[in-house]
Amino acid sequence: MLSALDLGLIYGLMALGVYLTFRVLDFPDLTVDGSFTTGAAVTASLIIAGQSPWLATAAGAVAGAIAGLVTGMLHTKGKINPLLAGILTQIALYSINLRIMGRANLPLLRTDTLLSGLRDDRHLGTWVSVAVFAVVVLVFMLALDWFLNTDLGLALQATGDNERMIRAQGVSTDNTKILGLAVSNGLVGLAGGLIAQYQGFADIGMGIGLIVAGLASVIIGQAVIPGRRFIFATLAVVVGSVVYRIVIQLALQAGADPNDMKLISAILVIAALLLPRLGVFRHMRARRRERLIEAAAKGEAARA
Amino acid sequence: MLEVRNLRKIFFQHTPNEKVALDGVDLTLAEGDFVTVIGSNGAGKSTLLNVVAGEFRPEGGTVHIDGADVTKLPVHKVARWVGRVFQDPMAGTTPHGTIEQNLAMAFARGRTRGLRTGVTRAKREIFREELKALELDLENRLRTDVGLLSGGQRQALSLLMATFSQPKILLLDEHTAALDPARAALVTRLTDEAVARHGLTTLMVTHNMHQALAMGNRLIMMHEGRIIYELAGEQKQRATTDDLLHEFEKLKAVSDRTLLA
Repeated sequence: MLSALDLGLIYGLMALGVYLTFRVLDFPDLTVDGSFTTGAAVTASLIIAGQSPWLATAAGAVAGAIAGLVTGMLHTKGKINPLLAGILTQIALYSINLRIMGRANLPLLRTDTLLSGLRDDRHLGTWVSVAVFAVVVLVFMLALDWFLNTDLGLALQATGDNERMIRAQGVSTDNTKILGLAVSNGLVGLAGGLIAQYQGFADIGMGIGLIVAGLASVIIGQAVIPGRRFIFATLAVVVGSVVYRIVIQLALQAGADPNDMKLISAILVIAALLLPRLGVFRHMRARRRERLIEAAAKGEAARA
Repeated sequence: MLEVRNLRKIFFQHTPNEKVALDGVDLTLAEGDFVTVIGSNGAGKSTLLNVVAGEFRPEGGTVHIDGADVTKLPVHKVARWVGRVFQDPMAGTTPHGTIEQNLAMAFARGRTRGLRTGVTRAKREIFREELKALELDLENRLRTDVGLLSGGQRQALSLLMATFSQPKILLLDEHTAALDPARAALVTRLTDEAVARHGLTTLMVTHNMHQALAMGNRLIMMHEGRIIYELAGEQKQRATTDDLLHEFEKLKAVSDRTLLA
């Protein structure tokens, strides 16, 4: 069970990337399925080639960022629809990933990775590894929060919220979109490299359907932690990722066929998207919003 | 400050729907000029503002702001010189950002946006002072999401965002048209105050003839992509809405005559 926490936390980095594109930029980026594998492929290849695991992991993140940059260029400079731009990069990456790896699967078992220490001491899948990964994810999460509150980060947020307005304030939304996609896929590539080291191999198919897992994390997280203020939005995403992995783990333990996991993931996301539209939940949300506005109005009246 | 020379804008060029929106517009605004623009629908008022702001690239002519040729620059580059308020109160702010975040984004207009904190304590103090002048009690709600504000409050905030960073040119595109009369009066008053305080060179489109006469030191009337009537100084102060209506009537007579001819 604790290994589900490990995975949830590492995949949390990927989910943060998905949050940045889907929620902040309002850009449905499908590059993720490809860039995750790219991160894993680059990291694994470099480690096997004898490079330092630190450098290899960083290179995996950079490779992911470049993939995001390409999608961004296709969309902004090439005026290609966001979904299509992402799919094009993703498909191209499949071949590129095979080129990087040389074959469909690269084992990392007898090589020195970032996680060798934890593995040798049998700490993977224990509270020790959970603590380590939690710290790593928290660092990136806080860094993302810090970034989103800089002048540049605010411009990036506004690009997803009101593009016309932020352009009129002097921001090239082409640039903010490209930047957002690069940072997002950099996080995804980083997660790919870490997952490859965690499971001990990189595989050409490891990114398939990952965008759904990322989306599920974002949606589940926001259902569990609804606040958007301060660090709650990003924290929700990480928590969502962990919850998602636990649900998958429980399904497997209950005897679900691993081959059905993609189906279960898809149904999970569909449910998460449709449930809020049911009457009961809509009513709850409406009430919450009313209370917010009432409170605001009351505050105003009290001061007046 | 603003120099528009022989500006031509044609939509759907070389198609059966071709429409000449600007047909050789010449306009010069000296520093501190406040020009109101009136005209019937389709006269080219908004197109003029949009071409100046860089939303549309003209088919002919030039636009200079403060000596710089901005004719071919995109919106975000022209924004270095230009502050804008749109007709739609929702258009000038980001609903999911807080009041202080929106102000910080406007504060950074014309500067390079880097990795400095967007809302600092020092900036927050500036924002609070600026918001006080609106008298909407927004200075105590810096962390409220702008999406929770009313249309009038959002438009007042948009106006503040467009003016407090002191642009070379202020472009107002019927920015009070979507508000109820009380809120429209408020935003009108705030506009006058902001323009006077910063000495802003302003171009304002309006459908309201009272407003066009009451505000600014010059007035232009547009028709079919041309400036056909101009008032300035004392002449403008003495003019009434009847005079303007009379000018409109003259146009109507002309177009009726051409129609019958």
